[in-house]
Amino acid sequence: MLKVKAGDLDKMALLFERHHRPLYGFLFRMTHQRESSEDMVQNVFYRMLRYRNTFNGSGEFITWMYHLARNVLKDHLKKNKSSASGQGEEGLEERAGGGPSPADLVEKKQEWKALLNAMEDLSTENREILILSRFQDLRYHEIARIMDLTEGAVRVRIHRAIHHLKNIYLQIVN
Amino acid sequence: MKCERDKEQITRWINHQMTLDERTLFEIHLAQCPSCRQELEASQQVWDLIGKMPVPEPSAAMPVRFHAMLDTYKRSVEEKRNPLAAILERFRQLWALQPRFPLAYSLILVVMGLTGGYLLDHRNPGPDPDFAAKKQIDTLSSQVHEMKEMVMLSLLENPSASERIRGVSYTNEIRGVNKRISDALLETLNNDPNVNVRLMTLDALTHFANDPVVREGLVQSIVQQESPLVQSALADVMLKLQERRSVQPFKKLLFQKDLNGQVRSKIEQTISRLI
Repeated sequence: MLKVKAGDLDKMALLFERHHRPLYGFLFRMTHQRESSEDMVQNVFYRMLRYRNTFNGSGEFITWMYHLARNVLKDHLKKNKSSASGQGEEGLEERAGGGPSPADLVEKKQEWKALLNAMEDLSTENREILILSRFQDLRYHEIARIMDLTEGAVRVRIHRAIHHLKNIYLQIVN
Repeated sequence: MKCERDKEQITRWINHQMTLDERTLFEIHLAQCPSCRQELEASQQVWDLIGKMPVPEPSAAMPVRFHAMLDTYKRSVEEKRNPLAAILERFRQLWALQPRFPLAYSLILVVMGLTGGYLLDHRNPGPDPDFAAKKQIDTLSSQVHEMKEMVMLSLLENPSASERIRGVSYTNEIRGVNKRISDALLETLNNDPNVNVRLMTLDALTHFANDPVVREGLVQSIVQQESPLVQSALADVMLKLQERRSVQPFKKLLFQKDLNGQVRSKIEQTISRLI
Protein backbone atom coordinates (compact mmCIF):
# COMPACT_ATOMS: atom_id res chain seq x y z
CA MET A 1 0.00 0.00 0.00
CA LEU A 2 2.91 2.34 0.67
CA LYS A 3 3.95 1.89 -2.96
CA VAL A 4 0.42 2.81 -4.07
CA LYS A 5 0.62 5.86 -1.85
CA ALA A 6 3.91 6.80 -3.49
CA GLY A 7 2.17 6.80 -6.87
CA ASP A 8 2.58 3.21 -8.13
CA LEU A 9 -1.17 2.73 -8.67
CA ASP A 10 -0.68 -0.59 -10.49
CA LYS A 11 0.18 -2.20 -7.14
CA MET A 12 -3.48 -1.73 -6.21
CA ALA A 13 -4.28 -4.63 -8.55
CA LEU A 14 -2.08 -6.86 -6.40
CA LEU A 15 -3.88 -5.74 -3.22
CA PHE A 16 -7.22 -6.42 -4.90
CA GLU A 17 -6.10 -9.94 -5.88
CA ARG A 18 -5.07 -10.68 -2.29
CA HIS A 19 -7.89 -9.13 -0.33
CA HIS A 20 -11.08 -8.88 -2.38
CA ARG A 21 -12.40 -12.31 -1.42
CA PRO A 22 -12.12 -11.97 2.38
CA LEU A 23 -13.48 -8.43 2.11
CA TYR A 24 -16.41 -9.67 0.02
CA GLY A 25 -16.96 -12.44 2.62
CA PHE A 26 -17.14 -9.89 5.42
CA LEU A 27 -19.59 -7.65 3.56
CA PHE A 28 -21.74 -10.55 2.38
CA ARG A 29 -21.97 -11.97 5.89
CA MET A 30 -23.05 -8.57 7.13
CA THR A 31 -25.72 -7.96 4.47
CA HIS A 32 -26.51 -11.31 2.78
CA GLN A 33 -26.81 -9.36 -0.44
CA ARG A 34 -24.60 -10.52 -3.23
CA GLU A 35 -24.69 -7.62 -5.63
CA SER A 36 -24.52 -4.95 -2.96
CA SER A 37 -21.51 -6.69 -1.41
CA GLU A 38 -19.73 -6.65 -4.77
CA ASP A 39 -20.57 -2.97 -5.20
CA MET A 40 -19.25 -2.26 -1.73
CA VAL A 41 -15.95 -4.08 -2.44
CA GLN A 42 -15.58 -1.89 -5.51
CA ASN A 43 -16.35 1.17 -3.42
CA VAL A 44 -13.79 0.24 -0.72
CA PHE A 45 -11.04 -0.15 -3.32
CA TYR A 46 -12.05 3.14 -4.91
CA ARG A 47 -11.77 4.85 -1.52
CA MET A 48 -8.37 3.26 -0.97
CA LEU A 49 -7.18 4.89 -4.18
CA ARG A 50 -8.83 8.19 -3.46
CA TYR A 51 -7.74 8.45 0.17
CA ARG A 52 -4.40 6.67 -0.25
CA ASN A 53 -2.66 9.63 1.38
CA THR A 54 -4.47 8.96 4.65
CA PHE A 55 -2.74 5.55 4.98
CA ASN A 56 0.10 6.44 7.28
CA GLY A 57 1.83 3.07 7.26
CA SER A 58 2.08 2.94 11.04
CA GLY A 59 -0.81 0.45 11.32
CA GLU A 60 -1.49 -2.66 9.28
CA PHE A 61 -3.02 -2.35 5.84
CA ILE A 62 -5.74 -4.85 6.84
CA THR A 63 -7.00 -2.72 9.71
CA TRP A 64 -7.11 0.33 7.45
CA MET A 65 -9.01 -1.64 4.79
CA TYR A 66 -11.67 -2.86 7.25
CA HIS A 67 -11.90 0.63 8.69
CA LEU A 68 -12.86 1.92 5.23
CA ALA A 69 -15.11 -1.10 4.66
CA ARG A 70 -17.03 -0.33 7.83
CA ASN A 71 -17.69 3.20 6.66
CA VAL A 72 -18.93 1.96 3.28
CA LEU A 73 -21.09 -0.60 5.04
CA LYS A 74 -22.50 2.03 7.38
CA ASP A 75 -23.55 4.18 4.41
CA HIS A 76 -25.10 1.15 2.72
CA LEU A 77 -27.07 0.13 5.80
CA LYS A 78 -28.30 3.67 6.27
CA LYS A 79 -29.56 3.75 2.68
CA ASN A 80 -31.19 0.31 2.87
CA LYS A 81 -32.53 0.23 6.38
CA SER A 82 -35.52 -1.89 5.48
CA SER A 83 -33.81 -4.38 3.20
CA ALA A 84 -31.02 -5.35 5.60
CA SER A 85 -33.06 -8.06 7.29
CA GLY A 86 -35.11 -10.87 5.83
CA GLN A 87 -32.65 -11.71 3.07
CA GLY A 88 -30.59 -14.07 5.11
CA GLU A 89 -30.92 -17.13 2.95
CA GLU A 90 -29.20 -16.01 -0.20
CA GLY A 91 -26.02 -17.84 0.70
CA LEU A 92 -27.72 -20.93 2.06
CA GLU A 93 -29.11 -21.81 -1.35
CA GLU A 94 -25.59 -22.04 -2.70
CA ARG A 95 -22.94 -24.72 -2.49
CA ALA A 96 -25.31 -27.60 -1.91
CA GLY A 97 -23.07 -30.05 -3.80
CA GLY A 98 -20.42 -32.24 -2.22
CA GLY A 99 -20.18 -33.59 1.34
CA PRO A 100 -23.32 -34.06 3.41
CA SER A 101 -26.45 -36.01 2.42
CA PRO A 102 -29.67 -34.10 1.59
CA ALA A 103 -31.19 -34.93 4.99
CA ASP A 104 -28.12 -33.63 6.81
CA LEU A 105 -28.22 -30.57 4.63
CA VAL A 106 -31.84 -29.79 5.49
CA GLU A 107 -31.02 -30.15 9.15
CA LYS A 108 -27.90 -27.96 8.79
CA LYS A 109 -29.88 -25.39 6.87
CA GLN A 110 -32.39 -25.11 9.68
CA GLU A 111 -29.61 -24.71 12.21
CA TRP A 112 -27.98 -22.04 10.06
CA LYS A 113 -31.28 -20.24 9.60
CA ALA A 114 -31.83 -20.15 13.34
CA LEU A 115 -28.26 -18.97 13.90
CA LEU A 116 -28.64 -16.30 11.22
CA ASN A 117 -31.76 -15.06 12.95
CA ALA A 118 -29.92 -15.06 16.26
CA MET A 119 -27.10 -13.09 14.65
CA GLU A 120 -29.61 -10.55 13.39
CA ASP A 121 -30.52 -9.97 17.06
CA LEU A 122 -27.00 -8.74 17.73
CA SER A 123 -26.27 -5.07 17.20
CA THR A 124 -24.53 -4.23 13.90
CA GLU A 125 -21.36 -3.44 15.77
CA ASN A 126 -21.31 -6.71 17.68
CA ARG A 127 -22.05 -8.65 14.50
CA GLU A 128 -19.12 -6.91 12.83
CA ILE A 129 -16.84 -7.83 15.72
CA LEU A 130 -17.96 -11.46 15.66
CA ILE A 131 -17.50 -11.80 11.88
CA LEU A 132 -14.11 -10.08 11.94
CA SER A 133 -13.00 -12.43 14.66
CA ARG A 134 -14.45 -15.65 13.22
CA PHE A 135 -13.67 -15.24 9.53
CA GLN A 136 -11.02 -12.65 8.96
CA ASP A 137 -8.35 -14.21 11.20
CA LEU A 138 -7.80 -11.00 13.12
CA ARG A 139 -6.38 -10.69 16.63
CA TYR A 140 -8.40 -8.90 19.29
CA HIS A 141 -6.04 -5.91 19.29
CA GLU A 142 -6.47 -5.54 15.50
CA ILE A 143 -10.25 -5.67 15.78
CA ALA A 144 -10.02 -3.11 18.58
CA ARG A 145 -8.11 -0.77 16.26
CA ILE A 146 -10.64 -1.25 13.43
CA MET A 147 -13.58 -0.63 15.73
CA ASP A 148 -12.00 2.16 17.80
CA LEU A 149 -12.55 0.15 20.99
CA THR A 150 -10.31 -1.17 23.73
CA GLU A 151 -9.07 -4.74 23.49
CA GLY A 152 -10.98 -5.57 26.68
CA ALA A 153 -14.24 -4.30 25.19
CA VAL A 154 -13.73 -6.48 22.10
CA ARG A 155 -13.06 -9.49 24.32
CA VAL A 156 -16.26 -9.00 26.30
CA ARG A 157 -18.42 -8.34 23.24
CA ILE A 158 -17.26 -11.46 21.40
CA HIS A 159 -17.89 -13.55 24.47
CA ARG A 160 -21.40 -12.12 24.89
CA ALA A 161 -22.20 -12.69 21.22
CA ILE A 162 -21.09 -16.32 21.36
CA HIS A 163 -23.01 -16.79 24.60
CA HIS A 164 -26.16 -15.43 22.95
CA LEU A 165 -25.77 -17.67 19.89
CA LYS A 166 -25.03 -20.69 22.05
CA ASN A 167 -28.25 -20.23 24.01
CA ILE A 168 -30.26 -20.07 20.79
CA TYR A 169 -28.42 -23.09 19.40
CA LEU A 170 -29.05 -25.15 22.54
CA GLN A 171 -32.75 -24.31 22.31
CA ILE A 172 -32.88 -25.72 18.77
CA VAL A 173 -30.86 -28.83 19.56
CA ASN A 174 -32.91 -29.68 22.63
CA MET B 1 -21.74 -27.66 40.76
CA LYS B 2 -21.30 -24.48 38.78
CA CYS B 3 -17.73 -23.30 38.19
CA GLU B 4 -16.96 -19.73 39.23
CA ARG B 5 -14.18 -19.30 36.68
CA ASP B 6 -14.43 -16.47 34.15
CA LYS B 7 -16.32 -17.98 31.21
CA GLU B 8 -14.85 -15.42 28.85
CA GLN B 9 -11.74 -17.64 28.82
CA ILE B 10 -13.71 -20.33 27.00
CA THR B 11 -14.35 -17.96 24.10
CA ARG B 12 -10.72 -16.90 23.98
CA TRP B 13 -9.60 -20.55 23.99
CA ILE B 14 -11.87 -21.41 21.05
CA ASN B 15 -10.85 -18.25 19.26
CA HIS B 16 -7.09 -19.01 19.64
CA GLN B 17 -6.54 -15.71 21.39
CA MET B 18 -4.73 -17.04 24.48
CA THR B 19 -1.00 -16.91 25.09
CA LEU B 20 0.73 -20.27 25.47
CA ASP B 21 0.86 -19.92 29.27
CA GLU B 22 -2.80 -18.94 29.55
CA ARG B 23 -3.72 -21.87 27.34
CA THR B 24 -1.76 -24.42 29.40
CA LEU B 25 -3.26 -23.17 32.67
CA PHE B 26 -6.77 -23.19 31.24
CA GLU B 27 -6.40 -26.69 29.84
CA ILE B 28 -5.26 -27.98 33.25
CA HIS B 29 -8.43 -26.48 34.75
CA LEU B 30 -10.53 -27.91 31.93
CA ALA B 31 -9.31 -31.42 32.67
CA GLN B 32 -10.72 -31.13 36.19
CA CYS B 33 -13.95 -29.17 35.56
CA PRO B 34 -16.86 -30.96 33.82
CA SER B 35 -19.02 -27.80 33.90
CA CYS B 36 -16.45 -25.78 31.90
CA ARG B 37 -15.90 -28.73 29.54
CA GLN B 38 -19.60 -28.92 28.81
CA GLU B 39 -19.83 -25.24 28.13
CA LEU B 40 -16.76 -25.29 25.95
CA GLU B 41 -18.20 -28.11 23.88
CA ALA B 42 -21.44 -26.20 23.18
CA SER B 43 -19.60 -22.99 22.37
CA GLN B 44 -17.23 -24.86 20.08
CA GLN B 45 -20.18 -26.38 18.21
CA VAL B 46 -21.68 -22.94 17.62
CA TRP B 47 -18.30 -21.56 16.60
CA ASP B 48 -17.82 -24.39 14.06
CA LEU B 49 -21.35 -24.05 12.73
CA ILE B 50 -20.97 -20.33 12.09
CA GLY B 51 -17.71 -21.10 10.32
CA LYS B 52 -19.42 -23.44 7.88
CA MET B 53 -22.07 -20.96 6.82
CA PRO B 54 -21.73 -20.71 3.05
CA VAL B 55 -20.83 -17.55 1.20
CA PRO B 56 -21.43 -17.50 -2.57
CA GLU B 57 -18.49 -16.90 -4.86
CA PRO B 58 -18.17 -13.32 -6.08
CA SER B 59 -19.08 -12.99 -9.76
CA ALA B 60 -16.44 -13.03 -12.49
CA ALA B 61 -17.45 -9.48 -13.41
CA MET B 62 -16.06 -8.15 -10.12
CA PRO B 63 -12.34 -8.16 -11.08
CA VAL B 64 -13.20 -6.83 -14.54
CA ARG B 65 -15.08 -3.91 -13.00
CA PHE B 66 -12.22 -3.26 -10.60
CA HIS B 67 -9.63 -3.12 -13.39
CA ALA B 68 -11.84 -0.80 -15.44
CA MET B 69 -12.18 1.48 -12.40
CA LEU B 70 -8.41 1.39 -11.79
CA ASP B 71 -7.70 2.26 -15.45
CA THR B 72 -10.10 5.20 -15.34
CA TYR B 73 -8.67 6.42 -12.05
CA LYS B 74 -5.10 6.18 -13.32
CA ARG B 75 -6.01 8.20 -16.38
CA SER B 76 -7.66 10.91 -14.30
CA VAL B 77 -4.55 11.15 -12.07
CA GLU B 78 -2.30 11.44 -15.12
CA GLU B 79 -4.54 14.15 -16.53
CA LYS B 80 -4.13 16.19 -13.38
CA ARG B 81 -0.36 15.78 -13.46
CA ASN B 82 0.05 16.77 -17.07
CA PRO B 83 -2.38 19.32 -18.52
CA LEU B 84 -0.98 18.89 -22.06
CA ALA B 85 -1.65 15.16 -21.88
CA ALA B 86 -5.14 16.03 -20.63
CA ILE B 87 -5.86 18.02 -23.78
CA LEU B 88 -4.56 15.17 -25.95
CA GLU B 89 -6.72 12.77 -23.96
CA ARG B 90 -9.76 14.95 -24.64
CA PHE B 91 -9.01 14.61 -28.36
CA ARG B 92 -8.70 10.86 -27.99
CA GLN B 93 -12.04 10.77 -26.22
CA LEU B 94 -13.54 12.77 -29.04
CA TRP B 95 -12.19 10.14 -31.39
CA ALA B 96 -13.69 7.44 -29.18
CA LEU B 97 -17.09 9.07 -29.45
CA GLN B 98 -17.07 8.38 -33.13
CA PRO B 99 -18.92 5.01 -32.88
CA ARG B 100 -21.99 7.21 -32.87
CA PHE B 101 -21.33 8.23 -36.46
CA PRO B 102 -21.26 4.71 -37.90
CA LEU B 103 -24.28 3.97 -35.76
CA ALA B 104 -26.20 6.92 -37.16
CA TYR B 105 -25.00 6.01 -40.63
CA SER B 106 -26.24 2.44 -40.22
CA LEU B 107 -29.59 3.64 -38.95
CA ILE B 108 -29.94 5.89 -42.01
CA LEU B 109 -29.15 2.87 -44.18
CA VAL B 110 -31.86 0.87 -42.43
CA VAL B 111 -34.42 3.64 -42.94
CA MET B 112 -33.38 4.00 -46.58
CA GLY B 113 -33.70 0.27 -47.06
CA LEU B 114 -37.17 0.30 -45.56
CA THR B 115 -38.33 3.27 -47.64
CA GLY B 116 -36.77 1.90 -50.81
CA GLY B 117 -38.37 -1.46 -50.27
CA TYR B 118 -41.73 0.12 -49.60
CA LEU B 119 -41.58 2.33 -52.72
CA LEU B 120 -40.42 -0.53 -54.93
CA ASP B 121 -43.20 -2.70 -53.66
CA HIS B 122 -45.85 -0.04 -54.42
CA ARG B 123 -44.52 1.12 -57.77
CA ASN B 124 -44.18 -2.30 -59.19
CA PRO B 125 -46.63 -4.76 -57.71
CA GLY B 126 -44.81 -7.82 -59.17
CA PRO B 127 -46.29 -11.21 -59.63
CA ASP B 128 -44.56 -12.62 -56.53
CA PRO B 129 -44.99 -10.39 -53.43
CA ASP B 130 -43.55 -13.07 -51.14
CA PHE B 131 -40.29 -13.01 -53.01
CA ALA B 132 -40.08 -9.21 -52.75
CA ALA B 133 -40.78 -9.33 -48.99
CA LYS B 134 -38.18 -12.00 -48.47
CA LYS B 135 -35.64 -9.98 -50.40
CA GLN B 136 -36.48 -6.94 -48.32
CA ILE B 137 -36.05 -8.85 -45.06
CA ASP B 138 -32.74 -10.26 -46.27
CA THR B 139 -31.51 -6.78 -47.12
CA LEU B 140 -32.62 -5.44 -43.75
CA SER B 141 -31.07 -8.25 -41.75
CA SER B 142 -27.78 -7.90 -43.58
CA GLN B 143 -27.83 -4.18 -42.83
CA VAL B 144 -28.48 -4.81 -39.14
CA HIS B 145 -25.68 -7.34 -39.13
CA GLU B 146 -23.35 -4.84 -40.73
CA MET B 147 -24.36 -2.27 -38.14
CA LYS B 148 -23.55 -4.63 -35.24
CA GLU B 149 -20.23 -5.37 -36.84
CA MET B 150 -19.39 -1.68 -37.05
CA VAL B 151 -20.39 -1.03 -33.45
CA MET B 152 -18.22 -3.93 -32.35
CA LEU B 153 -15.20 -2.72 -34.29
CA SER B 154 -15.61 0.80 -32.91
CA LEU B 155 -15.91 -0.44 -29.33
CA LEU B 156 -12.66 -2.41 -29.71
CA GLU B 157 -10.89 0.92 -30.30
CA ASN B 158 -12.31 2.45 -27.12
CA PRO B 159 -9.76 3.52 -24.47
CA SER B 160 -11.85 2.04 -21.63
CA ALA B 161 -11.22 -1.66 -20.94
CA SER B 162 -14.83 -2.36 -19.98
CA GLU B 163 -16.04 -0.87 -23.28
CA ARG B 164 -13.59 -3.04 -25.21
CA ILE B 165 -14.89 -6.09 -23.30
CA ARG B 166 -18.39 -5.06 -24.37
CA GLY B 167 -17.13 -4.91 -27.94
CA VAL B 168 -15.69 -8.42 -27.72
CA SER B 169 -18.95 -9.74 -26.28
CA TYR B 170 -20.75 -8.44 -29.41
CA THR B 171 -19.13 -11.28 -31.35
CA ASN B 172 -21.78 -13.62 -29.85
CA GLU B 173 -24.37 -11.77 -31.88
CA ILE B 174 -22.47 -11.86 -35.13
CA ARG B 175 -22.95 -14.77 -37.50
CA GLY B 176 -19.75 -16.16 -38.90
CA VAL B 177 -16.55 -14.22 -39.12
CA ASN B 178 -15.09 -12.13 -41.89
CA LYS B 179 -11.57 -10.87 -42.38
CA ARG B 180 -12.26 -7.49 -40.81
CA ILE B 181 -13.59 -9.03 -37.59
CA SER B 182 -10.94 -11.73 -37.33
CA ASP B 183 -8.16 -9.19 -37.94
CA ALA B 184 -9.57 -6.82 -35.30
CA LEU B 185 -9.96 -9.61 -32.74
CA LEU B 186 -6.49 -11.04 -33.38
CA GLU B 187 -5.04 -7.54 -33.12
CA THR B 188 -6.79 -7.15 -29.73
CA LEU B 189 -5.59 -10.58 -28.58
CA ASN B 190 -1.98 -9.71 -29.39
CA ASN B 191 -1.79 -6.07 -28.42
CA ASP B 192 -4.47 -5.09 -25.89
CA PRO B 193 -2.85 -3.76 -22.68
CA ASN B 194 -5.52 -5.33 -20.44
CA VAL B 195 -5.29 -9.05 -19.58
CA ASN B 196 -9.04 -9.45 -19.05
CA VAL B 197 -9.77 -8.04 -22.51
CA ARG B 198 -7.22 -10.41 -24.03
CA LEU B 199 -8.75 -13.39 -22.21
CA MET B 200 -12.27 -12.48 -23.36
CA THR B 201 -10.99 -12.07 -26.92
CA LEU B 202 -9.32 -15.48 -26.83
CA ASP B 203 -12.61 -16.97 -25.70
CA ALA B 204 -14.48 -15.23 -28.53
CA LEU B 205 -11.92 -16.33 -31.12
CA THR B 206 -12.17 -19.94 -29.97
CA HIS B 207 -15.78 -19.95 -31.24
CA PHE B 208 -14.48 -19.10 -34.70
CA ALA B 209 -11.65 -21.63 -34.61
CA ASN B 210 -13.06 -23.48 -37.62
CA ASP B 211 -11.93 -20.58 -39.76
CA PRO B 212 -8.37 -21.34 -41.00
CA VAL B 213 -7.27 -17.69 -40.68
CA VAL B 214 -8.41 -17.49 -37.04
CA ARG B 215 -6.76 -20.81 -36.27
CA GLU B 216 -3.48 -19.71 -37.81
CA GLY B 217 -3.74 -16.39 -35.93
CA LEU B 218 -4.25 -18.21 -32.61
CA VAL B 219 -1.19 -20.41 -33.21
CA GLN B 220 0.93 -17.38 -34.08
CA SER B 221 -0.31 -15.52 -31.03
CA ILE B 222 1.29 -18.04 -28.64
CA VAL B 223 4.78 -16.54 -28.85
CA GLN B 224 3.44 -13.00 -28.56
CA GLN B 225 1.77 -13.44 -25.18
CA GLU B 226 3.60 -12.48 -22.02
CA SER B 227 0.88 -12.88 -19.39
CA PRO B 228 0.89 -16.33 -17.69
CA LEU B 229 -2.95 -16.26 -17.62
CA VAL B 230 -3.22 -15.86 -21.39
CA GLN B 231 -0.42 -18.36 -22.06
CA SER B 232 -2.16 -20.94 -19.94
CA ALA B 233 -5.57 -20.22 -21.55
CA LEU B 234 -3.98 -20.62 -25.00
CA ALA B 235 -2.60 -24.01 -23.93
CA ASP B 236 -6.15 -25.08 -22.99
CA VAL B 237 -7.53 -23.85 -26.30
CA MET B 238 -4.88 -25.61 -28.39
CA LEU B 239 -5.50 -28.84 -26.52
CA LYS B 240 -9.24 -28.50 -27.11
CA LEU B 241 -8.69 -27.85 -30.81
CA GLN B 242 -6.04 -30.61 -31.00
CA GLU B 243 -3.93 -28.15 -32.96
CA ARG B 244 -0.55 -29.79 -33.57
CA ARG B 245 0.95 -26.75 -35.26
CA SER B 246 0.99 -25.14 -31.81
CA VAL B 247 3.70 -27.53 -30.56
CA GLN B 248 6.51 -25.56 -32.22
CA PRO B 249 5.55 -22.14 -30.74
CA PHE B 250 4.98 -23.74 -27.31
CA LYS B 251 8.48 -25.25 -27.47
CA LYS B 252 9.78 -21.76 -28.24
CA LEU B 253 8.01 -20.45 -25.13
CA LEU B 254 9.72 -23.12 -23.03
CA PHE B 255 13.08 -21.60 -24.01
CA GLN B 256 12.13 -18.34 -22.26
CA LYS B 257 13.95 -18.19 -18.94
CA ASP B 258 11.40 -16.03 -17.17
CA LEU B 259 8.43 -18.27 -18.03
CA ASN B 260 6.12 -18.82 -15.04
CA GLY B 261 6.76 -22.23 -13.39
CA GLN B 262 3.12 -23.37 -13.43
CA VAL B 263 2.69 -22.29 -17.05
CA ARG B 264 5.87 -24.18 -17.96
CA SER B 265 4.57 -27.46 -16.55
CA LYS B 266 1.16 -26.88 -18.16
CA ILE B 267 2.76 -26.28 -21.57
CA GLU B 268 4.91 -29.37 -21.19
CA GLN B 269 1.77 -31.41 -20.47
CA THR B 270 -0.03 -29.84 -23.43
CA ILE B 271 2.84 -30.64 -25.79
CA SER B 272 3.01 -34.25 -24.62
CA ARG B 273 -0.74 -34.65 -25.12
CA LEU B 274 -0.67 -33.06 -28.56
CA ILE B 275 2.18 -35.19 -29.95
